[in-house]
Amino acid sequence: MQLTRRNFFKFMGATGASVAVLPSSAQAWQSKAPPDPYGCLVDLTRCNGCRKCEDACSTVNELPPPIKDVCDCTVFEKKRRPDENAFTVVNRYFSGKLDELDKPLPVFVKIQCMHCQDPACVSACIVGALTKKENGAVHYDVSKCIGCRYCMVACPFEIPAYEYHDPITPRVRKCTFCFDRISKDGGLPGCATICPVEAITFGKRNTLLELAKKRIKDNPGKYVDHVYGEKEVGGTSWLYVSSLPFSKLNFPQLPEKPSPKLSETIQHSLFSYLWSPILLFGLLGGIMYKSKKKNDNPQDKGGA
Amino acid sequence: MIKKIIFYSGFMILVAALSMAQVWKAPDQEKAKERAKERVKFIKDYKDEDNILRKIALIEKGISLDDVKNNYFLLDSPIIKEREDHYGPVRFAHKRHAALINDCTECHHYRPKDESMLETTRCSACHQDSFNADHPERIGLKAAFHQQCTECHQEEQNGPVTCTGCHLKNVPDHKDLVKLADNSDAFQVTAECLRCHDQAGEDMLKTAHWNWRGPSPYTVKHRKDVQHGKGTTALNNY
Repeated sequence: MQLTRRNFFKFMGATGASVAVLPSSAQAWQSKAPPDPYGCLVDLTRCNGCRKCEDACSTVNELPPPIKDVCDCTVFEKKRRPDENAFTVVNRYFSGKLDELDKPLPVFVKIQCMHCQDPACVSACIVGALTKKENGAVHYDVSKCIGCRYCMVACPFEIPAYEYHDPITPRVRKCTFCFDRISKDGGLPGCATICPVEAITFGKRNTLLELAKKRIKDNPGKYVDHVYGEKEVGGTSWLYVSSLPFSKLNFPQLPEKPSPKLSETIQHSLFSYLWSPILLFGLLGGIMYKSKKKNDNPQDKGGA
Repeated sequence: MIKKIIFYSGFMILVAALSMAQVWKAPDQEKAKERAKERVKFIKDYKDEDNILRKIALIEKGISLDDVKNNYFLLDSPIIKEREDHYGPVRFAHKRHAALINDCTECHHYRPKDESMLETTRCSACHQDSFNADHPERIGLKAAFHQQCTECHQEEQNGPVTCTGCHLKNVPDHKDLVKLADNSDAFQVTAECLRCHDQAGEDMLKTAHWNWRGPSPYTVKHRKDVQHGKGTTALNNY
């Protein structure tokens, strides 16, 4: 290919223009986290594994009743995950310590949607069915959902579940943070209301963070110095304090950067003003044009 | 004269009948019920002192078991009930616990900052509704009860730690639930119970009450191998 002076300037001009557009479009990613959301602080040292939160959750959200067994102990034999029929489940882990009767001391862990401050599921949702509300809840609107299940792939905690058994009107199911209840004045989530030992403390996230740090400071031997959810994936509305390291309790080890930051930065800088497709197809067009010219010439010669 | 006697005896019978109609109520139980219903003013500030110092302070003040006024409390506060009502109230044997532990500070862990107030205030003065935004570190009354009771029972390995160990289940009033004709026979009554409690009927068939069998040495010819019982030959002989 012969690079003529004219073509060179054309190409450089186009590239220069697109590069000039780039910095203005790739603005620094900004968090859309609500400033003063509600949250829950789960104190794993308080939880005694009564599973009343599961009961309350199924009542409030009209789910099938949670598994019952005769002594409420075999249910912990297997690690469970939240699914379309249970928005929250309690699992049992062992600390490795023994009590006075030489019985292993259990640690119970309640899991549910963490209601991230910058939720990956909301970022991944292509129709806006999932939204982060001002009060902290990651809210799901079934009327908008098209069932692509990107949220399930995006969630770093693997929380959203899908009603695979329902072929006509399947829904994505996850903890609602009792959105309707907490939207009312003085409303509380079902699990926090029923908890007999206040292992779940409901309140403003900022207050709860202070509270969690105060508990750790006042009892440094009792807690590990880590508020899970303070910084994980940019912070979550649900926070945990524990006597055991969170890695031993099956909590995922996550970076402090919000998950949507990288994906949205890439996407927004690539597709702002459609510069990258324009450039790509421009380049392809240029190459096509050039190679067509090149191919045309021998034919012309051959024909002559 | 006879008229008078008839009149007075009639009058006395009437009075007796009226007093019989009134159901007798245990006075201390009624007192405990009244006390449980009370709502007291919220104590915002408490004196954060060391546990041992507080113990010494109580001993110096001469507070002893004789100061325990109430034998027992009914833990049935409206503060808890307005949120939910799953179990019956707990009867807390206050004096018995006080005598057993012999250390008021075990439960009365802080005192109000206001020195004029009682040294040992009731739980519901400091612990009221859960998640008080102004006092986030203050746990609610329900959690205060549960944490205090179960933690101590677990530590001491004494006392109940399960839900129904302290609470009675809140059984709904069966007056309206049971639908029976006036002259129902035994089978109809059983059928009515089984209408809701069918599992209880199934369970009954697996118990010793239904399946018992055993030697009956005092029957025919003292044959010990005869296995009588509901599980074999007998019918409805408890």
